[in-house]
Amino acid sequence: MDTDVSQVGWMPVALNNAVQAGSAIRVIAGTDDIALWRGKDGVAHAWENRCPHRGMRLSYGTVCGNRLRCLYHGWIYDGSGTCVAIPAHPDLTPPQTIKVRTYRCVEAGALIWISDGDISAPVIDGHWTPCRSLHIAVAMPDLPEILKWTKVNSVRPLSTYAADVALPDQGRLILAVHPMGSKGAMLHCALPASARRDSLLSASHWLGELRSRIEQAAVV
Amino acid sequence: MTPDPFTLSHWYAIGRIEDFPNGYKGEHRILSTDIAVSHHGELNVTGPEGSMGVQTRYGHVWTTLSRDPRPLYNMPEFEEEGRRLVTAGAIAVRCSGLRAVENFLDMAHFPFVHTGILGVEEHAEVEKYDVSMEAAGDEIWATKCRFFQPMAAAAAEGGQVIEYRYRVAHPYSTILYKTCPIRDGHWDLIGLFIQPTEEDECIVHSFVLVFDEHNTDTDLLHFQQNIFLQDRMVLENQVPNKLPIDPRWEMPTRADASSIAYRRWLKSHGVTWSTTRFEKVA
Repeated sequence: MDTDVSQVGWMPVALNNAVQAGSAIRVIAGTDDIALWRGKDGVAHAWENRCPHRGMRLSYGTVCGNRLRCLYHGWIYDGSGTCVAIPAHPDLTPPQTIKVRTYRCVEAGALIWISDGDISAPVIDGHWTPCRSLHIAVAMPDLPEILKWTKVNSVRPLSTYAADVALPDQGRLILAVHPMGSKGAMLHCALPASARRDSLLSASHWLGELRSRIEQAAVV
Repeated sequence: MTPDPFTLSHWYAIGRIEDFPNGYKGEHRILSTDIAVSHHGELNVTGPEGSMGVQTRYGHVWTTLSRDPRPLYNMPEFEEEGRRLVTAGAIAVRCSGLRAVENFLDMAHFPFVHTGILGVEEHAEVEKYDVSMEAAGDEIWATKCRFFQPMAAAAAEGGQVIEYRYRVAHPYSTILYKTCPIRDGHWDLIGLFIQPTEEDECIVHSFVLVFDEHNTDTDLLHFQQNIFLQDRMVLENQVPNKLPIDPRWEMPTRADASSIAYRRWLKSHGVTWSTTRFEKVA
């Protein structure tokens, strides 16, 4: 499955607590390598993970206020991906053409979603809290296929990659699958914001069991 | 992909002389090709088409896949009295060897990658320097390179503006000539002999050839290894990891003059192996 982000609309790529204000992480979305970072203002950004100067992965960069600084030569990019400073030439105003390729990035249902199309962003009602993300070694992640491995009372699709699911033992949760090309996939799980610690632990355990069942079946 | 003729025409270092003692037998690799090295009275290197050229020079063993190789470039400093040669061993890096050369030519990263050692953020400016192509020797020289360094060498104490010259006389080798901090009018040499194993993997053999009476070989080794391991973190995270020599791929500035010259030089020699071509960009 060639899950080019441009072809699939919105893809969930992380739980919202995976990237804290003032930090950057690397995520793989389909076949794309992405720097996901959050400014001090709390706004999340998803960029192509490559500095336009000499190709360094920007996920190794440092967040300075609401800007991202590349680790390699200290080039600074503002929230729109435009280069605003080149330390090797302190008197130079960088040309506007030096710009990182950016994705649209929104948060909904305790998930961070990215897209580079113009499809409207996912809207998920209610307040949600992040529970757990884990890796699953499946070649062709598909949410309906994954849900066959657990008992469900009801499934309400939120997108190709996420559903609001009611489970007999866990109650309601959001289950999202995030394909990573040849690297398998991530499963992300979020619970209603009212969930208490024991519910979070129970859902986390359930997600681990679900993964084990699917991976064991795949081996057989 | 088969290496281009220019890449094939060179000698490549495969290790230090002392790594191949009498009785040695081992498998090695250059340019995506398996080679066998043995030492029984004399060194022998064998590739898919039989016996290959072998020579020992600059503290290392060199071989070539070419039947008619270009001569290995001259470094007369290896004959000078009073210098010490310290090798920092073989470090495998998952990147194009060409990326490793280019990183070595770059001063602008010192304050950010080698913070507090080769540069500080308060002195990040790269002043204009000269880059020339020496047609006779088919070499690139970057000269009049000046950079403020808090701790330029193992023998240096305190910060100073260091003058550098860089030389590229081989696609997979580069030498830095650096003001000797303890002997006026002399240059210390630091260099890389890169053994390209695959298009996106290489083994870096590095050396220092310096006037230094204070530091032990171990001190010099640790200084070089510390610097190189900081570089490796960058080299293994450059996208694409094969060098893009098409100018549309990456956006240089004046500080990258030596990198621009290096990419042009590779292109003028028809180098394609270990490079990324523009068509592959989405």
